[in-house]
Amino acid sequence: MTKSTGSSASNTFLLVPIILFFALLIVAVLRNQNLLTSAGLGSAVIVATPLILATYALMAQAIAGRGSIDLSIGPLIGFINVTLVQLYGADIISSPVPFFLAAFLLGIAYQLAMGLIIVFVRVQPIIVSLSGYLALSGINLVILERPGGTVPEWMSSWGLGMSVFSPVAVILVLSTLAWVLFSRSAFFGHLRLMGSDERAAYASGVRIGIVRLGAHVISGIYAALAALTYTSLIGSGDPSQGTTYTLIAITALVLGGTSLAGGRGGVVGSLLGAVNIYLIGFVLGTLNFGAVQSFVTDLSYGVILVLSLLLTVVLPRIQNVVRGISPLLLFVALSAVAGGVAIHSTYDYSAPAAPAQSSTAAPAAATGGEAGATVVKTPANLTQFMFEDSGAELGGFGARSTLAGPLTLGAVMLLALVILLRTMVSQVRAKPASLVVSIVAACVVALGVYAVARPSHPVAGGAAAPAQAEQ
Amino acid sequence: MGISVLKWIGLALALIVSAAGIGLGFWQEVPAQQVIFYGAATFALVVWAWRYYTNRWAEDAVVKAARHEGEGETGEEPSAWNLFLTKNRAAIIGLLVLLAAFGIASITVEGFFSVLNIISLLVLVGLTVFSAVMGKFVVEHKSAFIGLTVLVGLFVVGALKVDGFVSGVNIKSMLLFAAFLGLACVGQTLVALLGGLDLSIPFVIGAANVGLLYIMGLGMPSWLAVIVILLAGAAIGWINGILSYRLQGQALIVTLGVGFAVSGLTQIVTSLGSQFAGNVFGVVPHWLTNIAAMNGTTFGLDFPPVILIWVVVAVVLIVGMKNTVYGRYLYALGGNRTSAARISISERRYWVGMFAISGVMSALTGALLLGWSGGGFIDVGQPYLFMTLAAVVVGGTSLLGGHGGYGFTVIGVLVLQVLTSFLVGLGLSYQWQQFIFGLLILPMVALYARSPHIRSQI
Repeated sequence: MTKSTGSSASNTFLLVPIILFFALLIVAVLRNQNLLTSAGLGSAVIVATPLILATYALMAQAIAGRGSIDLSIGPLIGFINVTLVQLYGADIISSPVPFFLAAFLLGIAYQLAMGLIIVFVRVQPIIVSLSGYLALSGINLVILERPGGTVPEWMSSWGLGMSVFSPVAVILVLSTLAWVLFSRSAFFGHLRLMGSDERAAYASGVRIGIVRLGAHVISGIYAALAALTYTSLIGSGDPSQGTTYTLIAITALVLGGTSLAGGRGGVVGSLLGAVNIYLIGFVLGTLNFGAVQSFVTDLSYGVILVLSLLLTVVLPRIQNVVRGISPLLLFVALSAVAGGVAIHSTYDYSAPAAPAQSSTAAPAAATGGEAGATVVKTPANLTQFMFEDSGAELGGFGARSTLAGPLTLGAVMLLALVILLRTMVSQVRAKPASLVVSIVAACVVALGVYAVARPSHPVAGGAAAPAQAEQ
Repeated sequence: MGISVLKWIGLALALIVSAAGIGLGFWQEVPAQQVIFYGAATFALVVWAWRYYTNRWAEDAVVKAARHEGEGETGEEPSAWNLFLTKNRAAIIGLLVLLAAFGIASITVEGFFSVLNIISLLVLVGLTVFSAVMGKFVVEHKSAFIGLTVLVGLFVVGALKVDGFVSGVNIKSMLLFAAFLGLACVGQTLVALLGGLDLSIPFVIGAANVGLLYIMGLGMPSWLAVIVILLAGAAIGWINGILSYRLQGQALIVTLGVGFAVSGLTQIVTSLGSQFAGNVFGVVPHWLTNIAAMNGTTFGLDFPPVILIWVVVAVVLIVGMKNTVYGRYLYALGGNRTSAARISISERRYWVGMFAISGVMSALTGALLLGWSGGGFIDVGQPYLFMTLAAVVVGGTSLLGGHGGYGFTVIGVLVLQVLTSFLVGLGLSYQWQQFIFGLLILPMVALYARSPHIRSQI
């Protein structure tokens, strides 16, 4: 982590997705608290994972340069989906291992074929992917004429999304970690070099043909994973629905700050970009536009896509201002704010008084941007917390156990915020993140996991569940 | 090997092939005139192809002999056969693939192995050889040449295979759809000449389609409504251009985003206060229907005016881009920005202008499609999302800018349209059509748009 923050000046493209992510998250939490329950998060993971993995698949090729945007990623997902469903329907494969192997085989074979054409026939990648798009979306309808079919039993349970710790989440975490590991390898360095300047890469002895084929293989693996999670999401085969992934995955890729010109792109950005796309849909879903719902979604995708692209134009101009802000610090600080809002929204004001003022203080402090203000406010809030905590014992129906969670969390969040704002101000020249920041980040993550890990209680320990019961 | 031996072998081969064709024809009870005609055609094609290659071999042999004499030693020259193989690798692979596909189809599909199909195969083989051979001489406009060859081949095969393919009605309908696609491709071509891409075209088409019906439903006179829609299209194109000017590498994504927004906005506006979200109902004026519908008449002649519009637009563009200063500057910009800037060509003006034209033409296509279908439908533009791109690419306009033109796109449009019509005539369903489309674009582009190897770029 320290390594990557060291070059924060070049990472400023992450600022836009981070800010957008937290803005959307806060709105989403305020609009619909169910997102923060274990089931809500679980279904969010289930729905968002295919998109995230598809974005990773696009990223591998986008980094490779030459303007390779794989337009055929959506039809490819659909292709693997319908093929798997048909193979299962014909009783050829049913257990997990052949299922996964078949998916990987299809994904890698297709992408390798594309890569070979690009490397040896030397046609522009976008034309290759365009003809792949047309061919695959045609053949999908041949394989499976209309939506239908079933998936094996072991897979159909994946799509329920009752808990955060579903196999889909495991796939997501593992594939993200795999990408992080991959990005530390020499091969990735070659890939980036080739993406930013192919001639220089060739002249310095990088075997660009092999590297490009490797990027395609990786892309194929992620496309296969995306197809598997997509299959578990819809629980059947659908020849045309996968096609829609092309446009939103490209949108997510761009939102995540990956350069379509090649050479730049990271797993964090793509993850955030894809999650942002999901959150946009989620927020708009809560706003309830009735009949024009899908049109509003279209409109917002378009506007946000264009705006975030324009921000990347403006970014170099404000780079002098933001140079001091490391994306990691910003992320942690904003997550503290979002945590506060989460408590605010899930906390039951009516039952045991109102100790959740702290949460309103948190955003106020963040927007104020002054460490001093928070320091002044914090003790008051903390005492209020303590006070309420002791008083809550009288509140009956085990309020203490439900209150302990949010109170501790809130306290730690506020503390983290104070420390972070201090560090942000002091670390104006982007230095490696200090030990304190790492510890705080780890604490936040650990708390989040702790809160999520209790399926019976709402996340952040808030009293949403009792509140609903009362109503 | 003497040349005369080769010549006799070729003649014998041609005789055998055409005799087989004639025999099969009589066996299948095809009318006698047809059999004789096709037999003669087959014979001529084979002889011609054979003659060409034997001449080449002979030339090679002569050249080699001269070289041998000059060097005065017997080096390890590759044999004529190897030389021939390496020189025409692509064409030979293509032929083998074609033959293999034909063989597989004959074995698997019942009744595929008929005299008509063999003749079709021979026509295709002949055209492949023809284009491979002549392609070496046509350097300047190779893509147009190959496109025209493919067009002729498709037309001949279509006429053989599909009943009524060359009938007036079918040609009229092909031209009608080609006119829609061609008008939608105007913007894509111009933008591609500058090195950009416009993916907002299908969304603008859909929005214009729905929006026109909507504002006519509000009581605006229809001619004014069309003008308003065209202006709105220009405005959207202008926005596209302004936004993507600084993000030229990502014009694809910017236009996609603008397209999403436009399409969403139109639908929100048109469906507010209506029960049927996304659907607009109304009456299309008669003159608009006449322009775009199959049974329309142009000055009393029996074809829809949209074909005439397309022809006029195409002629204006082709002539204009060759002969006016605007056209030449456009190529200059696409070819090299820096040198264009040195002679005071405003890049921004052209970039924004081309996107604005693209918006106008997309809106026009949307309006005309309303006349054709008689009802507003937002997704009417969706087939044009990649078809405009495919037509531009197949025609041979470089997506990197500076090379190509609308004339090429016209060829691309016609190839795609004739191919669609042919596949429909064969009774193939939509999905197979799309599959074949995808498979065909790649080799067609590979014939002329291969980028040089990296080692020659340094």
